[in-house]
Amino acid sequence: MTTATQSRRVRLPAWASKKVLVGFLVVFALLYSVPLVFPLGDYLHNIVGLTFMFMAAGLAWNWLGGYVGQISFGHAAMFGTGGFVSARLAVTFGLPFWATWLIGGVVAGLYALLWGHPTLRLRGPYFSIATIGVGEATRLVATYWTDFTGGSSGLSLPIGNGPTKFQLYWYGLYLLAAVVVLSYWLRKSRIGLALLAIKEDVEAASDVGVNPSFYQDLVLFLSGTVVGVCGGFYASYQAFIDPLDMFSFERSISFVLIGVIGGIGTILGPAMGAIVFIVIQEFLLANYPQLYLGLYGVLLIVVILFEPLGISGLIMWVGRRFGRRPSPSTAAGGLSSAASAPDRPTAPVGAGGQDEKQGPS
Amino acid sequence: MVVVGCAPSQSSTDTSKDAGTVPDTIVIGSTLPLTGAESKTGGRYKQGYELAFDEVNTAGGLDVNGKKVKVELKLLDDTSDQAKAVNLAQRLITSDKVNAFLGTYSTSLVEAQSTVAEQNKIPYVNGGGAATSIYTKGYKWIFGTLAPVENLATNEMEWIDQQQKAGKLPKPAKVAIVWENTSHGKDFRKGIQDFAKKTGTYQVVVDESFALDGTDFSAVLNKVKAANADLFMVDAHLPDFITMHRQYLSSGMCNKIETYGARGTEADAKKALGQKGVDYILSAVWWNSQLGDKGLNKKFVDSFTAKFGTAPEWYQAVSYEAARSLFTAITNAKSVDKTKVRDALSSLSIDSILPGGKLSFPADKGGQASYPFVVQQNLPDGSSPIVYPADVATGKGTAPNPGCKG
Amino acid sequence: MGQVLALAVSAVLLAGFYASMAYGLGLIYGVLRVVNLAHGGMIMAAAYLSWVLFTRFSIDPYLAIPIVMVVFFFIGVAMYKGLVRFLPRGAAGGVQSLLLLFGVWLVIRNIAYLLFTGDDQAVRTSYSTASVRIFGNSYSLNRLLVFVISLVAVAVLQLWLSRTYTGKAVRAVTENSDSSTLVGIDVERVYALTFGVGTALAGLAGVLASTLFAFNPSFGSGELLKSFVIIVLGGLGSVVGIAVGALVLAFAEIFAIYVVPSYLTAAVGFVLLVVVLVVRPGGLFGSKVLR
Repeated sequence: MTTATQSRRVRLPAWASKKVLVGFLVVFALLYSVPLVFPLGDYLHNIVGLTFMFMAAGLAWNWLGGYVGQISFGHAAMFGTGGFVSARLAVTFGLPFWATWLIGGVVAGLYALLWGHPTLRLRGPYFSIATIGVGEATRLVATYWTDFTGGSSGLSLPIGNGPTKFQLYWYGLYLLAAVVVLSYWLRKSRIGLALLAIKEDVEAASDVGVNPSFYQDLVLFLSGTVVGVCGGFYASYQAFIDPLDMFSFERSISFVLIGVIGGIGTILGPAMGAIVFIVIQEFLLANYPQLYLGLYGVLLIVVILFEPLGISGLIMWVGRRFGRRPSPSTAAGGLSSAASAPDRPTAPVGAGGQDEKQGPS
Repeated sequence: MVVVGCAPSQSSTDTSKDAGTVPDTIVIGSTLPLTGAESKTGGRYKQGYELAFDEVNTAGGLDVNGKKVKVELKLLDDTSDQAKAVNLAQRLITSDKVNAFLGTYSTSLVEAQSTVAEQNKIPYVNGGGAATSIYTKGYKWIFGTLAPVENLATNEMEWIDQQQKAGKLPKPAKVAIVWENTSHGKDFRKGIQDFAKKTGTYQVVVDESFALDGTDFSAVLNKVKAANADLFMVDAHLPDFITMHRQYLSSGMCNKIETYGARGTEADAKKALGQKGVDYILSAVWWNSQLGDKGLNKKFVDSFTAKFGTAPEWYQAVSYEAARSLFTAITNAKSVDKTKVRDALSSLSIDSILPGGKLSFPADKGGQASYPFVVQQNLPDGSSPIVYPADVATGKGTAPNPGCKG
Repeated sequence: MGQVLALAVSAVLLAGFYASMAYGLGLIYGVLRVVNLAHGGMIMAAAYLSWVLFTRFSIDPYLAIPIVMVVFFFIGVAMYKGLVRFLPRGAAGGVQSLLLLFGVWLVIRNIAYLLFTGDDQAVRTSYSTASVRIFGNSYSLNRLLVFVISLVAVAVLQLWLSRTYTGKAVRAVTENSDSSTLVGIDVERVYALTFGVGTALAGLAGVLASTLFAFNPSFGSGELLKSFVIIVLGGLGSVVGIAVGALVLAFAEIFAIYVVPSYLTAAVGFVLLVVVLVVRPGGLFGSKVLR
């Protein structure tokens, strides 16, 4: 996995691959410049910017849901915390937006640690149920705490302060890029290996010296922080947020849907999931608004029963059909652990496969 | 790594293109919850808009500087989702380039959607957002035909005050305020608190909020009972109203004045609680068809009934007035230029079906119309006459509640 | 003191409804280890069925209970055979069942929207606001009836599980499904049966809810979340545990008003949920270890 090093060459860290890096930079450059060369029209441009945020949030959720294997139904608690801290800092102290996002994110991450550290001991559905409790309790307390969140009236950001929706496209892109890098690092580095071990068998992992508590807490903190930053982004985008919307159970579910429908445990997955989520919201629903719940429901059922790796699983299946085998390094780093995949003979173990944005390498 | 960097700024936003010319059709953008949780209300708002558009078009079109122009409503479904309301508004304003915008329903959606209108500098008239917080942000492009919810509480208190002055209610009177924790509830509570402070003859003995969709209100109701309140003033959505009032009735409670804010007179309430269950309940709404016995109101009620086969309620009245005020502003501005239309809205003063007879968007209220609510009381014969304000009253109310013994 | 008594009776009556909500969820989780997130949707659907039976056919909701329960039994069996059966067993299945059934809930909600629109509906019988006196205070007759029916349900369930062959088979499968097969129990059949009974119990809860509250297609999520709290509080050991968990929750919610503002009493259950899960994962009565 280490790239060949010659004295003049830049030395990449052990977990990075040159091919992936190049691919990443190409895609980034493309996404950066396309709207400048071919204007997308305000509406589409803004939607894509928002999609970047949902991708980032989905990826961050997925660190906990896919890498660690703990499905959180309460991530709106961090989304809302980040959003309101960020908005409150902007309204009351006039801090620049990027500072409010960062501070909001960190506060959200710390909050995640606060409730998460004790609950991560629980496994499987019990953790998920606990997260439901956390999410709902947070929503109720936040709605009550008028001084902080404005209560049910919400908070409005002053107009003209901070980036415009147009500019948020690029800030969303930066956010997404950072999150993708983090995702890749978490997965490919020793941390990823440790997480894989924990996911498979907690006791065995601690027997070999992997401290499950530390690693889970780390991922939880990072996940909470990023989702908190996304909350700050969302606040800047909407210029008005209220606790009912930010902390709602529906909001938490949207992260689950993005992660699961897109593909738990992969990087491509939540990205695809976010696109599906936005596409359904904006386009299909314009014509068939009465079907949106049912559509998500059916997708979820189909994914769980037939393709637990969601859309990215579908893509990998197609890729395998065309004879593309994942390279040995990515296969070994794959995270379709037996604990999360169904106990069916056809489920590929270790076929981590394509996890970059642009497809098989 | 540079985190805060640069993001390119928008090169050009040619919103001023429509400065001089009058188009062949004026397109007004709008979103409403046509499906989803609030679809019933959204459908009613749609009716109000449609009536206004039809009236203008059957008259040949809107007069814009001498030219008769057809008006078209471009209405999308926001399913009561805040993000969707924002994105669809964005689309209508920037992609479809509508000339003006008619707002959606429910305060939180209007509050979110109005920022889009303000950012894009397009006139935004709504009948769906009543919270004062929408209009106290210093926005210049937002106008609302819903009077503040504080007025709802204040007008009810004014009628109650008349009863107190006539000796029918104790002085000082004990008030219990139980309010849902939404911006609507908060404003309702504020109206009562402010009135009590101002007059000094009312003592707030209970002031409790509750979360939506409650399963049991025994604790709060017990508090009200223990405090021996004279006035029981609640602000609640229909499901909570039903749950709470059923428990209220079956626990044998009765107060000299009972009100659930805007609830109580609607058919759903009588269906769920029975006539006896809603007797003497006081309620206040933005408009009621009993206002429609002469003039502009009669015309409105008649043409609405002719078109839709049912009598209009306040939803259709406020949305109709929102559209109508926008049309009048365009005519007054003699142009579809957004700034001119906005200015015309700011200085607008027209005869209106709304209580008080006049509609304007005063700047000191941030563009929110201000007029009295009509206060009604349910009577055992099934009617719900207007008891306040006096100039539109159709009956006399009764206080204290004759249903209570002693 | 009279106030405390009045509130205590209210809490007991409320617990009756809460317990009825949780039986179905608890039974299905206890036996199949499947988290039935569609439970809330079933409650809502049953409320609508009760409403339809009442408004169209003038069948009193309490009399409609047997009809609704039978209908929902078959719905439950169908759901098991058509969907749940394919989920993997064991720890992996837990999370997947959660997601699958959540998807089912979304579909049910959508169907309800299409059939009935989002409007609030209520069932009003001639006795909807009737009251009954207990220890000197008046309470809603409906709440008392709901409480009594809930007690009957506990008793019947307990009898079924301990005295009948199928009931004992269900308990055997809960203990050890492999051994059960060895002694000749058709485990798949037991699972289907359990899912049917659990869904029928959700149907019961829905009918009871329709006599107390107004509802719309979004109804049920609060009930579902509270059912989790109840099962966690009561542990999974027994049906009686669920009843006790319901009592604890009801008392906590109602008496919390002495400690927190009434708005926040709604949060009490959720805080309890998290605290109990963290401190005593086996529930307040420490039965099975969570795995």
